[in-house]
Amino acid sequence: MTEPLVSFRHVEKTYDGRVNVVQALNLDIARGEFLTLLGPSGSGKTTTLMMLAGFEAPTAGEIFLAGRSLASVPAHKRSMGMVFQNYALFPHMTVAENLAYPLRRRGMAKGAIAEALGRAVEMVKLGGLEARYPAQLSGGQQQRVAVARALIFQPDLVLMDEPLGALDKNLREQMQLELKHLHAQLGTTVVYVTHDQSEALTMSDRVAVFHEGMVQQLDTPDAMYERPANSFVANFIGENNALPGKVEGRDGDFCRVRLETGELVRATAVNTAADGRTLVSIRPERLRLWADDGAEAANRIAAKVVETIYFGDHIRLHAMAGAVPLMLKLPLGTAGFAPGQAIALACAPGHCRALDPAPDAVA
Amino acid sequence: MSTAVAGTAVAGAGDLGRKLARANRAKQVTAFALLAPALLLMLLAFVWPIGALLTNAVHAPEFRDAVPKLAAWMEGWDGEALPDEAGFALVAEEFGRAFRDRSLPRASTRLNYERGGMRSLAMKTGRGAPRLAAPYRESLVALDPAWGDIATWRAIANASTWLTPRFVLQALDLQRVPGGGIQAVPPENRVYLDRLQVTFTISIVVTLVCAAIGYPMAYVMAMAGPNRGRLLFLLVLLPFWISLLVRTAAWVVLLQKEGIVNGALLALGIIDEPQQLIFNRFGVYVAMVHILLPFLVLPLYSVMKSIPRDHVRAAASLGATPASAFVTVYFPQTVPGLGAGCLLVFILSIGFYITPALVGGSRDQMLSSLIAENALGTANWGLASALALVLLCCVAVVYPVFGRYAGAKNLRLG
Amino acid sequence: MASPRPYRGPADRIGGGLVRAVAALGFVFMLAPILAVMPLSFNGGSYLSYPLQGVSWQWYAAVFAARPWMPALWNSVTIGAATTVLATVTGTLAAYGLSYTEFPGKRAIGALLISPMVVPIVITALAVYLAFAPFGLVNSFTGLVLAHTVLAVPFVVITVTATLHGFDRTMVRAAASLGAPPLVAFATVTLPLTAPGILSGAVFAFVTSFDDVVVALFLAGPEQFTVPRRMFNALRDKLDPSIVALAVFLVTISIFLLATIELLRWRSERLRSRP
Repeated sequence: MTEPLVSFRHVEKTYDGRVNVVQALNLDIARGEFLTLLGPSGSGKTTTLMMLAGFEAPTAGEIFLAGRSLASVPAHKRSMGMVFQNYALFPHMTVAENLAYPLRRRGMAKGAIAEALGRAVEMVKLGGLEARYPAQLSGGQQQRVAVARALIFQPDLVLMDEPLGALDKNLREQMQLELKHLHAQLGTTVVYVTHDQSEALTMSDRVAVFHEGMVQQLDTPDAMYERPANSFVANFIGENNALPGKVEGRDGDFCRVRLETGELVRATAVNTAADGRTLVSIRPERLRLWADDGAEAANRIAAKVVETIYFGDHIRLHAMAGAVPLMLKLPLGTAGFAPGQAIALACAPGHCRALDPAPDAVA
Repeated sequence: MSTAVAGTAVAGAGDLGRKLARANRAKQVTAFALLAPALLLMLLAFVWPIGALLTNAVHAPEFRDAVPKLAAWMEGWDGEALPDEAGFALVAEEFGRAFRDRSLPRASTRLNYERGGMRSLAMKTGRGAPRLAAPYRESLVALDPAWGDIATWRAIANASTWLTPRFVLQALDLQRVPGGGIQAVPPENRVYLDRLQVTFTISIVVTLVCAAIGYPMAYVMAMAGPNRGRLLFLLVLLPFWISLLVRTAAWVVLLQKEGIVNGALLALGIIDEPQQLIFNRFGVYVAMVHILLPFLVLPLYSVMKSIPRDHVRAAASLGATPASAFVTVYFPQTVPGLGAGCLLVFILSIGFYITPALVGGSRDQMLSSLIAENALGTANWGLASALALVLLCCVAVVYPVFGRYAGAKNLRLG
Repeated sequence: MASPRPYRGPADRIGGGLVRAVAALGFVFMLAPILAVMPLSFNGGSYLSYPLQGVSWQWYAAVFAARPWMPALWNSVTIGAATTVLATVTGTLAAYGLSYTEFPGKRAIGALLISPMVVPIVITALAVYLAFAPFGLVNSFTGLVLAHTVLAVPFVVITVTATLHGFDRTMVRAAASLGAPPLVAFATVTLPLTAPGILSGAVFAFVTSFDDVVVALFLAGPEQFTVPRRMFNALRDKLDPSIVALAVFLVTISIFLLATIELLRWRSERLRSRP
């Protein structure tokens, strides 16, 4: 990695002097990347963004921008464009005045402002709305103005704090793509905060999952999904089946786990507790019905059918392995399960990950 | 690329606390700088004056300042028998000097509060001092026999201190008995407690009437659509904006013997001759309710407006009749607003002065009138201050309740 | 209301009718005296009673004659203006200070700033008189303005605080992120957005001063007599229609001020919500 644009070094933040909202944060952000800070509310992701923007001061540690400490740089000198959760468009200014605001603060000449304004309006397809007040725009239009305003002064870094949270589902998905294309087109570094994991996976180059003030995992979206580092990430990103058990032995990268149902499975050893307790994590689409062709080098898990649900593009099967609920996705046309029917499930050891037995429940 | 899972750190709490305090201090300094001008103004033109007023209620050094040697000597007097010759000699000397340097009139006013007739005695003694000679006891008694009365000396002893409870006692219709102790004044001489009682009676009646009329008004406003509600809101607000004197004048015009109300009642045959509707308690109630009603309606309206209509609908769907839904679901939610409004009306009415002064009879004057009368009329600043102290205590009892349960937040002004 | 009402039993209908009847009486009670008195200011005769004896402008002419009302009006306006400036500036700064951050004693300071509103005005007036007398501030313009400012500050603090309460703080952050230093952000964003609250606070401050009698009774010498102070004397003296003419004039000013505030409120609401 070349020199990072932003680095957090041992950053801590507390509001009440007792509990750290952000603890011992070390994080590097590369130039030009789209990094998402993902986590449930209260996980420290927004605080991290606010410290980067300069609206909150770290209680300890330092943040560097291109090698320079930001400790004594006030927010208005940081040159970071920001898109706020509710856009924070100035209600007493028109669209044009909102967009021109950062340029006027920088003392840009009138002609140059008009030119930049024209480009920005075109970029976010807001032509003809320049004279409107924010209250006269739809939610999506307000969102575009907010994005354009954060980009118009060509900041080193654009920060986005749940910018799509206020939009309805269809508009949100459309804006996700637009933002992604805008990023690809401009090459600006983006730090994006969201609690929506699918938004994080679809838009980002890398995702940092926050929980209780710490980064749980920092990875590309596919690695994050395929290879979660711990039970929290496995549960928070996508859907997860978690089978409790105990490690009985290791061989290389793998380990043997005795499940609570008594079955022995082989799983990738990732992050088990010292006393051997573990949760074996399996993604629903990696769990299959056992095919009796004998050639399987897969783990076999016995279960009882609870119900099947028709999802349009697939069929979802809910089953119980002992006391543990399981869920798997089956192709259309797989049918004929009766509730209570005994079935056998299969999963390759490479797709079974033995993780920590963390008790964290996930919303 | 991953870090380990860990719980929330609570370590080094003291250290964190200090860092946090440092970060917050800069903001607090800014906040105080913004507050400074207003606080300075309040200090100069409110807090300090109130302090001066409270001091004034118990601090009366005029006599002691005028005759310091006599006052100091009086501290050693036992109050049982007439003082010896030294005391009489000091009276002759000090009164004479105070008469010459013109500090005696103020001092004798102070003396007169202790005992009627003392002013003229003091002035007479001061004027006659040059002709007095030893033995002073005989010559003073010869000048005025009152010098042979122990009550005169007790008055001098009472006036000789810097601090005096006399005005506060007087404001509560209490008096000192000779030889120590405090007792209530005879009922026929009671003045101030009666005023206090009138003050509270008027305030309570006005508050109740305001609540009885204001609650339905606020309810109708809250139930009307947004436009009609706003219109009614402005209707209530308009009198709020009209000078108190203008409104009082309007009531005088309406309620006087030849006024519109009497005329209408006569024309309708309800009364046979014009009734006295103003310059009595009725007039005070009418004018005060008119002035104070907006203070009750406005906070109540803003609370009622915030109650979702679904609550009453939910109660109805659960089987409540409109009346029982109102009593069990709606009314309890309006209590904070009603409480805020009532307390505000009550606090404001305790201090009313102008309206009773203009539309009330002499028996309808409230404590504030008495304060103004003593200050502006007879210039008895000590008693005026002591009465103000009593009134302030009444407000001080009610204000915290208001601040706690209602708060200035409920006071939307427009 | 146009929409049909859901069914109600007879008891509920009587109750509802009673509520509406009392409320209607209340609204009439609020407005009637002012409306009933207004025509009397045009009375041709010199009595304040109906029927009118012809219509005339004579009482208005009396009010706008040189004496005694015009000097009083001038005093009222200048004292009111000075009070407005002083109270609006200090009260607005204080409201910003109170909402800026948390600090120890904040509640107490807030209560102190509001307290002149609940302390009976007679007490404040007497206190200020006693404290100001040694400094020659009694019977002076300065003394009156200072005392009026104390009475007006609570209204400014309350209205501006209410406006700041509805003010979205992220606006200031947005301005900072776009390169505005704190003072520029204040001037370009905070001030324009809280201006309606400040202006209505200023109107309240003016009205507080313009309407005061009690403080004027204590602190105003004949040179500083304001309109209400003069009216107080006139009302104790003898009622004549010129007082009503003056009252109508003042009511007109009040309605104008109320309309101004309503306009400001409407404007700020329009900016904040979607049309």
